[in-house]
Amino acid sequence: MADVDDMKNLLDRTILLVTGKGGVGKSTVAATLARRAARDGKKVLLIELESVSRAAPLFGVADAGPEAQLVDHNIWLMGVDALSSLRYFALQQLKLETVVKLALRNKAVRGFFMAMPGIKSILFLYHLWRLESEHGPAGDGRWDLIVCDLPTSGYVIGLYGVPTTISQIFRMGPLANYARGMADMLFDPKRAGLVLVTLPEEMPVVETVELIERLRARNGVEAAAVFVNGIYPELVAPTEIEALVAAARSSGETPPHELEGMLWAAELLAGRNARAERLLPLLRNEVGDRMIELPHLFRRHMHLAAIDELAAIVGTRLAEA
Amino acid sequence: MVDGPGDNPLLATLDHSKLLICVGSGGVGKTTSSAALALLACLRGRKVLVLTIDPARRLLQALGLDQGDIPANTPIEVLPRMSGSLQMEVPEGAHLHAMMLDPELGASQTIERLLPDPSLREEVLGNRIYQALLPIFSAAPDYVALELIADIHAEQGYDLIVLDTPPTHNAMDFLNAGRTLSSFINERVLKWFARIPQADSGQKSPGWWRRGSSVAMAVLGRLFGSDVLPDIAAFFQSFRDVLPALRARSEQTDALMRSPVTRFIAVTAPGETSLREARHLRNLMAEQGLPFAGFVINRVVRAPASLGDADRVRQVADDLRKQLVDSGHGPQVAAGLAERLRLGAERLTFMDRADRDHVESLRRMGGTRDFCAVAPQLEHDIHVLSELRDLGQRLVDGVLPVVDDDGL
Repeated sequence: MADVDDMKNLLDRTILLVTGKGGVGKSTVAATLARRAARDGKKVLLIELESVSRAAPLFGVADAGPEAQLVDHNIWLMGVDALSSLRYFALQQLKLETVVKLALRNKAVRGFFMAMPGIKSILFLYHLWRLESEHGPAGDGRWDLIVCDLPTSGYVIGLYGVPTTISQIFRMGPLANYARGMADMLFDPKRAGLVLVTLPEEMPVVETVELIERLRARNGVEAAAVFVNGIYPELVAPTEIEALVAAARSSGETPPHELEGMLWAAELLAGRNARAERLLPLLRNEVGDRMIELPHLFRRHMHLAAIDELAAIVGTRLAEA
Repeated sequence: MVDGPGDNPLLATLDHSKLLICVGSGGVGKTTSSAALALLACLRGRKVLVLTIDPARRLLQALGLDQGDIPANTPIEVLPRMSGSLQMEVPEGAHLHAMMLDPELGASQTIERLLPDPSLREEVLGNRIYQALLPIFSAAPDYVALELIADIHAEQGYDLIVLDTPPTHNAMDFLNAGRTLSSFINERVLKWFARIPQADSGQKSPGWWRRGSSVAMAVLGRLFGSDVLPDIAAFFQSFRDVLPALRARSEQTDALMRSPVTRFIAVTAPGETSLREARHLRNLMAEQGLPFAGFVINRVVRAPASLGDADRVRQVADDLRKQLVDSGHGPQVAAGLAERLRLGAERLTFMDRADRDHVESLRRMGGTRDFCAVAPQLEHDIHVLSELRDLGQRLVDGVLPVVDDDGL
C-alpha cells in the first residue's frame, strides 16, 4: 500500500484537510488543489470556514454560502459556519424542516449550541462526513474530492479529537452511533489526507514540525503532504555576487550607485532562500519526499491564472512522486 | 526619532491606556509586536504585563523565559531582571512582567475560584460534560484569557496590560468571547437546562415547562441521545449557585473591553487577505463601539532608494554583462547572471510598490484617525531582548502621518 508514503495519490483521496498558520497561503494551496483535481476531471467541493471568504473573490462570486454553488468547471464552493452545520445535522436527524425551525427557535437551545466550545467541531465533522459519504452535485453521487480550507492548526487538533470527545459525552444517541463512521473517515489515509502549508521562515517551519509530531503522537495521523509557499526563484548565488562586484570594479571606474541597490536586493533574496535551505531539512526529516515547494509569484492579486501556475507545478510534482 | 507622546499616536496609546488588546489573524507577528510594545511601554516608565498564548521559543528566549519550568498563568519578571541584556537602565519603578496562558489550567482555576464549596466543585470537575469540554478550551482559549485579564486588572497593580489575543481562526471570536460566555451561562439557558429531570433525583420538571419546551427537549433527545440530557442538566445545575458571580464577571469583562482606558490595535501584514481581514476587524469594532487605536503593519518590504527605476536597472545590468564578458566570463554565463541580477531588483521594486499601495489603502480606509505603524520585514526571528526593543522603536518611528478627513 503506497498511499501514505507516496504523494502520487494525494488527489485520489475523498477529503483533503488543508491547514497552516495564518498568512502562509493556506487558501491559495486549497484553491490550487481544487483546481488541479477539477482539471483532472474530478468533481470538487471546496469548503471554507472563515467568515470572510477567500475563494469567492478568486472565482468571481459574491460569497461562499451554506449551499454548494458551482463556481468553476467541476468546482463547487461552500462556506460553513456553526449554525449551518447545526441546521444540517438537525435536518438529517429530524427530516422535518418545520420541527428543526421550531427547535432552533428556542433561544436556550440555540444559545447553548452556539456558545458551547467544541460543539462546532463536532457538528462540522459530522457535516463533512455526510458530505463525503452521501451528497454530490445535483444528487448524482458523492463528490470525488472535498478540499477543506481549515482555520488554524489548533482547529485541526480539535477536529482529530472529535471522535474521542463524542464518545465521552454522548454514550447513546445518533452522534454516538456516528462517531465510529466519522473516525473511520478521518483516520483512513486512503480517504482523508492532511495537507500542511507553511512558509520557508523559522516560526512557520518550527510550528509545522511541532504540529506533525503532535498529531503523530496523539492521533496517529501522518501528514499527506507539506506545501512550502514563497520560495524565490532564479536568484543570484553569493559566489556570483562576488563575481559581479569584481567585474564592476574591473574597468577601474566607480560602479554606478544603482548597482549597490541591485546587489542589496540580490543579497536579500539570496539570504531568504539560504534560510529556506537551512529550514527545509527539518520538514523533510518529518515527511520525506511528501513536500512540494511553490514559488513566490510576485503578483499583486491572487487570481485564477496564478492559481493555475501553481496547479501546473503541483501536477508535475505529483506525477513525479 | 519621535520622543514626545504628543506627536506620536502610538506612544500616546502606550503611555495612556491601561489595557492594550492586540488583535489580528495569526502569522502577522502579533505576539512579537505585543511583546515589543509592552517592552517599550516599560522603558517609558510604566509597570507592564504582557499576556501571551503559545509564544515561539525564540521570543521566550528573548524574554529570558526559555529555561526551566516556567509556571503558566503566573506573571514572571522580565525587567528589570534582564536589564543587563538591554545595556540600559530601566526607569525607576517600572517593570515588565510576562505571563503565558494555559487555557486548560485557567479553566480549572476559574472553576476553583467560583466554586469554593469542595463538594460542589468535585461535582463539576467530575461531570463528564465538563471533562469532555476541558481539552477543548485549549483550542478556544478566549474565555479563559478574558477571565484572567479581568482578574489581573482588578487585583494587581499594573499600569498597562498588553494582551496578545489567542490565535482564534476568526479574530472576531475573541471580541465576542465575553458575550458568548454570558450567553452560554445566561440565566435563561441555565434555568432551561437545569429543569431537565436528573436521572437519579426522581424530581419532575414543572408542567408549564414540559409543555413549552417539549419540542426542543424531544429534539435534543433525538439529536444527542436522551441519556446525555441529565448530565447536561447536572452540569448547568451546579452552575446555578455561581450564576450571579459568573454574570458579574462577564459583565465586568465586557465593560473592561469598552472602558475608556482600553485600546485595540489590529496587527496585520501587507497582502490582500491580511489587510482585508484587518479592515473587516476594524469595521466590526467600530460597529460594536470598541475603542480602536490603530494598525501595526509588520513585514513590509522596502527597496533601497539607490535601486533606481526599471530602465536604469536594465542599463546597469547590461553594462555589467559587458564587464563580466570583459573579465573573462562566457557570454551566456554573463547574460544569465546579469539577467538574474536585474530580475531580483525588479522583484524587490515590485514588492516595495505593492506593499506601499497596500499600506496606503489601509491608511486611507474610511478617512479615520487611526494610526498606522509600519515595521519592515525582519530577516530572522527576534531572539534577544535588544532586538525586541529595536522593533518597538521601529514601530514608533514607522508611524505614518494620520490621514485626516477634515483636511486641516
